[in-house]
Amino acid sequence: MTTNTHSIAGTASGTRIAAGLFALVLGAFFVWGAGFAHSAALHDTAHDVRHAFGFPCH
Amino acid sequence: MLVRYLLAALAAGIFAGVVMTPIHYLKLVPLIEHAETYEQGGHGIEPTHDHQAGLVSSAFAHGAAHEAAGSLILAHSSAAAGEGEEDSAALFESRALGTLAANLVTGAGFALMLAATALLTGRTITARTGALWGLAGFAAISLAPALGLPPELPAMPAADLGARQAWWILTVGLTAIGLYCLVLRREAAVRAVGILLLVVPHLFAAPHPADLSSPIPPTLAAEFAVASLATGAAFWVLLGLSLGTAMDRFVGAKA
Repeated sequence: MTTNTHSIAGTASGTRIAAGLFALVLGAFFVWGAGFAHSAALHDTAHDVRHAFGFPCH
Repeated sequence: MLVRYLLAALAAGIFAGVVMTPIHYLKLVPLIEHAETYEQGGHGIEPTHDHQAGLVSSAFAHGAAHEAAGSLILAHSSAAAGEGEEDSAALFESRALGTLAANLVTGAGFALMLAATALLTGRTITARTGALWGLAGFAAISLAPALGLPPELPAMPAADLGARQAWWILTVGLTAIGLYCLVLRREAAVRAVGILLLVVPHLFAAPHPADLSSPIPPTLAAEFAVASLATGAAFWVLLGLSLGTAMDRFVGAKA
């Protein structure tokens, strides 16, 4: 990629991809817990946020 | 280096989550609370399926919802379990505290995913490009799924939860990949595939209930859908900007 100017892009691409995948999975886990998990405790706590973000709810 | 990158993303997400909480309370939570009065059959209007919306806790209602796949579900009325009692299963006593916590987690989650996208595609998010990254996130995660499943209020009729979640996740995923192909790639063929990916989820109808009758006044639902998208746009632009600023400050300096 020719647009890489910052040091992050200079990191060995294997490490960069691994860190990217790790962040993607961790982020998805957070969003799943707040927005999608069927647990009653999580649902009731995050209820208003689920509606606010337009996540499928109920 | 990468640890700093991820910590900067977390900080930006948590910041965006904190800022969004009062905005939710200003624009959205009053509408949700208003809708919940209809959920309990208030305002002289009976829910069409009050045998389902009736005296069950939200936990039980969810169980019933999974069994009745594809059917009309008007359940989920936590307040209907007792006389105006608040959620019993929530992790926090206060509803506002729960909203704050959920906003923090959601903000951190989306920030990590946006930062991960930049990392995986070999791009950098800066304060200058942050708003554009945020708008891309808005398009993929708020706008595209809202075309099939508009943001809904409690007590509105809805199809099976699992089916709607599956359609939502599929639409978000395809839209995100489509945007990547269209915006970040140069090849004409890849861009054409990107356009195709943006369109495909909307050719398959999102799951909708057979019976659309609802106790919620249409004006209230319309107001909520627009308010939800508007605050969603605000969240994503704020998240992109704070992510870019955090990257500039904590990561970019080491270039």
